[in-house]
Amino acid sequence: MFKIKNRRHFYEQSFAFASRLSLIICAGVLLFLLGSIFIQGISALSLEFLFTPSSSFGKSGGIFYQLFGSLLMVLVAALLVLPLALGTALFRNSYNKNSAIAHIMDQSLYALNAIPSVTYGIFGLIFFVNLLNTGISWFVGSIILAIMMLPTVTLSTYQAMAAIPKIYHENAAALGLTRTEIVRRVTLPQSFHGVVTGLLIGLSRAIGETAPIMFIATAFSGVSVPQSLVEPVSTLPTHILELAQQSTDPQALQNAWGASLTLVLLAATFSGLALFLRSRLNSEGHQ
Amino acid sequence: MSATSALKAKALLKAKPASKRRDATKAYCQGSAVLSIVIVSVILLTLLIQSLPVLMSGDNGLIGTQWNPDEGQFGIIAPLFGSVFVMIIATVIAFPIGLLTAIYISETRSSKLRRLIKSILELLAGIPSIVYGLIGVAYLNIWVADLFDLQSGRIILTAGILLGIMILPTFLTLTEDALSAVPQRYRENAKSLGMYRHEVFKDIIFPQAKVGIAGAGLLALGRALGETMAVMLVIGSLDRLPSPLFNPLSSGQTITSKLGREVGESAFGSVHFSALVFMSFILVSITIALTILSHYFLTRKPSDV
Amino acid sequence: MYKQSVFALSALILAACSAPEAVNVSGSSTVLPAVSLAADQFVAETGTTVVVNAGGSGSGFNQLAEGQTDIGMMSRDITDSELERFKTIDFKRIAIGRDAVVPTISSEIYEAGVKALTLAQIADIYSGRVDNWAEFGGPDRAIFAVDKEASRGTRQIFMGVVMGNPKAKTPGTDLVTGSNNEEQTALTQSDSGIGMLSFAWLNEDVKGLSIILDNGQVVEPSLENIQNGSFPFVRDLLVITRGDIKPPAQKFVDYLLGPEGQKAVEESGYIKVSE
Repeated sequence: MFKIKNRRHFYEQSFAFASRLSLIICAGVLLFLLGSIFIQGISALSLEFLFTPSSSFGKSGGIFYQLFGSLLMVLVAALLVLPLALGTALFRNSYNKNSAIAHIMDQSLYALNAIPSVTYGIFGLIFFVNLLNTGISWFVGSIILAIMMLPTVTLSTYQAMAAIPKIYHENAAALGLTRTEIVRRVTLPQSFHGVVTGLLIGLSRAIGETAPIMFIATAFSGVSVPQSLVEPVSTLPTHILELAQQSTDPQALQNAWGASLTLVLLAATFSGLALFLRSRLNSEGHQ
Repeated sequence: MSATSALKAKALLKAKPASKRRDATKAYCQGSAVLSIVIVSVILLTLLIQSLPVLMSGDNGLIGTQWNPDEGQFGIIAPLFGSVFVMIIATVIAFPIGLLTAIYISETRSSKLRRLIKSILELLAGIPSIVYGLIGVAYLNIWVADLFDLQSGRIILTAGILLGIMILPTFLTLTEDALSAVPQRYRENAKSLGMYRHEVFKDIIFPQAKVGIAGAGLLALGRALGETMAVMLVIGSLDRLPSPLFNPLSSGQTITSKLGREVGESAFGSVHFSALVFMSFILVSITIALTILSHYFLTRKPSDV
Repeated sequence: MYKQSVFALSALILAACSAPEAVNVSGSSTVLPAVSLAADQFVAETGTTVVVNAGGSGSGFNQLAEGQTDIGMMSRDITDSELERFKTIDFKRIAIGRDAVVPTISSEIYEAGVKALTLAQIADIYSGRVDNWAEFGGPDRAIFAVDKEASRGTRQIFMGVVMGNPKAKTPGTDLVTGSNNEEQTALTQSDSGIGMLSFAWLNEDVKGLSIILDNGQVVEPSLENIQNGSFPFVRDLLVITRGDIKPPAQKFVDYLLGPEGQKAVEESGYIKVSE
């Protein structure tokens, strides 16, 4: 009896120790990741760095056109995905009564979410760059990023729609509104925060993507503001990729850290806004 | 895509509301929904069609270990093995740490602290993979090389560790959701019976949360298999099975690192390109299966167990 | 139907917005520095946009053949099988400079006394027959052999000379890299590595090996020996164009061969082709 109790006690101690150790490891990794990105990045980062074009293959100068290209590509992607995600979520919520169709839609969105980013790049290369013969084009990059954002934005919108209290619909219907009027006057305004949250989360992921755009949308140097839809741009992720390959060159490495910090801050801004929006709405009793 | 088909499409667009008199909002929603589903099929079909040349090219050594495009050898075994090997290392690192940390967090009673930790995890999951890649080449690969006294840290182990760190936030946060979903009164009852915490976990919480944990694990595995940039920068791109087979200190190649490095260099329409697309198709099939399975687990309620 | 119309529309939009007079250049990371430097000056002088993209010789050729770029950069010649695939296209190869691929070793090995090898000795390393520097009079340390991706021009020149076949298999390889930058990084981090770099990438951390010829003569990788062709790995740096080249692209090619372009070639560490 005594022995068993001892053993139980020993297990309990080990269990507590292991879980505490894991927490410490996690916190350590977290601190190391954020710490190294910030400490290394902050010494490279300045207004001048952000607003000067890069030169000598990214080793000197700043990241102006990379920053511009990244923002252009993801913001256009957000504009492209918005109507599609909104329509899909509305259909799922307000028009579709068939559970088999709902199931197929869910599975399709999960599947889109599951496709590895490099595969999106290959698909874009085959379908747009070669079959539609667009050549390397930032707009094709936006289309591909929009497709990648689709599940996130649609699901977030749909969840917001599903969370609208039934009584709203019933009241609106009792007032004699048609389904379309209900959609326009109740569903859309009441779920708008879901669209915005989804878009912000989508943006925060899309801006860091490298693999989907590196074959189809970006160029190494000589890029400024594109004059048409079918030109390449430079982006922050592909810029970091180039610089990371020469990591023994201190200058290149420093600029890579600067670009990384910029990228992380942009992604964090988007997802931070989304978190803020969500928590504010939560505390107001929505959702 | 010719002008005639564009005209035809325009005509179709015009004809529909006139003939059926459906309202525009509904038509728009239906159209969006159809397009969303069509996109997935178009992607998968495109990959499948572009895989056909290599599948029909006969003597191509597809199920082999030799990759030599100029001699028509397209063995996919080495990168496939590399993908699985790296995934296993990542799992061995991320799963125990993630599970134990999730247990610790789920026992925290302060919901404010929990929300804070969750937010940080979400931010962490949002660090782009190329930045992980930079950390890999700037620090991790040098540390690993020093630790094992190697000539280069661009090896399978480095890729596995980096990947383990990358999937940790996803696995941790979903596992924590699964643990927290177990009603609090179960824990309280068990504790009042004098059970130790590890016994509460083993006998009460885990049996109820295991489906959710499995879902979290599968989702994390899918992420690990599909991750490209970070792996590509640190794995060493060696198209060979490690020797001995399970030597993590050897350079290697995963499907994704192979694709990332070689797609741009193969000519569109060649058998070489087709072989790469085929590899991508295999990868997609696996990750989609894992993800759909994981959603099946994650959406089941604890009471269904 | 919606799909069709969306595709039709997007194709229309894309067609309507065809690119203005921009020159696209893509390919070898060896040729890139010279072209990129010249491009910056060309843009400043003419206002024509020149977009330069890296990816390797093979990728440069493929993109040119598929019409995705106006000029391909190659650090090796076009192969027969490449020409075979695109029989209908009329390719032009223009040398804009000369360079040497140099067998490169970590500075630690160089300083320990391994300063020259025969081609056969290098072949022994890459075919896996020799795996220790002691065999060549160096320290008792395993050789860390770094190869490059098969499509890279530098790799094909190197293996063509050393192994007699640009696409030779190299069972002795321990690591594979892509660009010159990445290869240089790997060799810098190693203290017993051997690899291959363009002459312009040598520095105090990565040293070029001299080659011992069959007659016992030792040839250093020096500018002079590259210029007179006695170093065995000398190659032309090429830009490749098609018969249907656009006028602004042709102007840029002419610029590369002109005095400013050739100055950029020299400033990048290569040897110019015209006086």
